[in-house]
Order: sequence, then C-alpha cells, then structure tokens
Amino acid sequence: MSFIPLKPIPIKDRMSMIFVGMGQIDVRDGAFVVIDEVNGERMHIPVGSVACLLLEPGTRVSHAAVKLASVVGTLLIWVGDAGVRLYSAGQPGGARSDKLLYQAQLALDDSLRLKVVRKMFELRFGEAPPSRRSVEQLRGIEGARVRKTYQVLAKQYGLKWQGRRYDPKQWDASDVANQCLSAATACLYGITEAAILAAGYAPAIGFLHTGKPLSFVYDIADIVKFETVVPAAFRIAARNPPMPEREVRIACRDAFKQTRLLQRIIPMIEEVLAAGEIEPPLPPADAVPPAIPEPTSLGDSGHRSQ
Amino acid sequence: MAMIVVVTEAVPPRLRGRLAVWLLEIRAGVYVGDVSKRIREMIWEQVHALAEDGNVAMAWASNHESGFEFQTYGANRREPWDHDGLRLVRFLPIEAK
Repeated sequence: MSFIPLKPIPIKDRMSMIFVGMGQIDVRDGAFVVIDEVNGERMHIPVGSVACLLLEPGTRVSHAAVKLASVVGTLLIWVGDAGVRLYSAGQPGGARSDKLLYQAQLALDDSLRLKVVRKMFELRFGEAPPSRRSVEQLRGIEGARVRKTYQVLAKQYGLKWQGRRYDPKQWDASDVANQCLSAATACLYGITEAAILAAGYAPAIGFLHTGKPLSFVYDIADIVKFETVVPAAFRIAARNPPMPEREVRIACRDAFKQTRLLQRIIPMIEEVLAAGEIEPPLPPADAVPPAIPEPTSLGDSGHRSQ
Repeated sequence: MAMIVVVTEAVPPRLRGRLAVWLLEIRAGVYVGDVSKRIREMIWEQVHALAEDGNVAMAWASNHESGFEFQTYGANRREPWDHDGLRLVRFLPIEAK
C-alpha cells in the first residue's frame, strides 16, 4: 500500500460549476458525495474537475468534504436562494504573496491603476478608450455603454427592459429578466472568483470596483459579462420558463463552454494586470526563503498544494 | 483535452474513490471524463500507486489510426497485442487466468 497525494488540476482543464441543493455532502472512499437521506440516493461529484461548487440552502457539508475540496483546489461557494452569495471558503486565497503585492502596487498607484482600468475597458469594448480620461470619466462612459448594451440586447430578444433593477433582499420583486440576470451573474462571479484565487490574486483588491470583498471579481467578470451570461439570461427570460434559474444555469454553462471562458480567464487576468507595465516584486534580499521548497504542482500558481 | 475511459476490476475502494474525484463512475468500476494529457498521466500514476492486486484499463481518444489508445495495469485475461502496429486485444485461455 502506498500513499499518493491529491493535487489540484488547472482551472482551464475543468468544467465551470456544479450547483448542489439539498443533501449531506461528505467523503466516501476518498470521493466527494452528496447523500440524500430521505431518498437514500448517493451522488458522486467529480470535485477535482470543476472550478467551483455552489451550495444552495439545504446542504450540509462535512469537515472531510471541505478538506477534499480545498486539497483539489475547488472553490466552495455558499449561495442563497437567489444565487445571492452568503459566504465562501474551501479554497483559501492569498497563497502567493508576490502576486498580492503586485496587485496591491497596481491598485495603489493612480497612474498604474488608470492603465489597468484602460486595459479592462479595451478588452471589454474591443477598442481603446478615449485618451486622457480619469478613472471616474471612464466609469461614466462605461455606465452609458452598459445601459445601451442592455437595451440593445433586450430589444434583440424581444424583452421589456426597464433597467437593471434588483433587490438582494427581495428576490421575487424584480422582473423575470432581472431575476435571470442575477442568477446568471452569480454563476459568472463564482467561476471568476475561483480563477482569481487559483491565479494567486486577491478578490477584494479591485480597480474599477472598490470596497467590496469581491471587487476584483466584479472587475474581471464585467469584461466578459456581455458576451457570455447577459445574452444567455435574456434568451431564457424571453421564453419565460417555469424554472428560470435552472434554465439560466444550463445556458450559462453552454455560454462558458462556447466562449472557452475557463481557458481564457487566467490569461485575461494576467493581461489586464500586465497593462500596468511593472514586474511582480522580487523578494527582498534579506528575506528568508522557504525551509522546505514547495512541491511541483499540476495546478495553477495560486493553488495550495500539499 | 480528450475523452478517457477507465475500467477497474478488483481494485481497492480507495482507488475507486480517488478516480471519482475527477471522473464520473457511469457503471461499477467504469469511469469517464474529458481531460488533458497531463491530467491523464496524473490519473494513471494514481492507478499505479493504488490499484494493488486489481487490474485497470485506460483508453483515451487520440489522433492515432484507431482514434484511441489504451494502456493496462495488472493481470487480466485480455491482453494488449501489437498487430502490425495496430494494438488489438487477445484473450488468454480461461484456465490460464
């Protein structure tokens, strides 16, 4: 009998997400399982092959399961009924101090921050933003373009659109299109956060968005939002199905697959940050190197491997 | 990324659980998935380390003439056989098992 450690695999080789509602999540024979105690069913989840698991109300997770998810570098996200996020853990961030310092340096310096924001703008709209604009002005231009894009897409799918309105506390109060959009963006934020953590960056240090635990997630997700989840959400909303959330998730998964989002997202994060044109800081000359070198891993640089 | 199939026979539950971390067990001991070459090799290492006295066959889609390749671990009545560059399987007599 020999021991062989479990290691994470790269985000680009994974499926996007799996939602789990109801059931006891545990580990059996080393595999991640969901047990439905009422019906006695057991479901295997290939936890190492997904970017993130979204746990809905009604699930209970064992300590062993959280450990397994963490070892294989899979982000667990606890979501509320409406995909409104409550809490997350399972894949602790901040594994790479060099990347965190690099990201913080870019965010702290106004001219570097502007370069990064301009790159985000360029990737998002496919053209360079007008020159000599402040971050504030760029945000204004962006807001106007976003409102316009929503209108155009809504018209294209034959939807009545009165703006992006939602109340996180009252899910059912918003219209179907907004409900579908909320469900769809929750999916996108989940895999974006998993990718940011896997790449070794901090979800909280944003450039356009600030002051929230997921500021950087919103920054990165916004770049691809209108080519992936928004059309998917509007297409489902136009059909007005009885279970919009489920349909939206399926449509999002297809959209992620079609746009090869998981293959693109980490290179995209690196590209955005590289626009600052600085190098990640080298360790100080008097720093103490790790006593035990890190083992080589198949996974991404931010994955903590054993 | 290519599709892979892993078939296990008489392997310890630890290996079966381990395979289910990345692959889907569609029938008892039969696992499928879509993985890259590096991940396939990593999964094969796990098979080598954990299969003990059991036997395992892994097949994956490739641009080989037959469209797939396969490898085996442990003893089984079915043995891979190189037939003019094409890998086929030959059967040992039942009593030889």
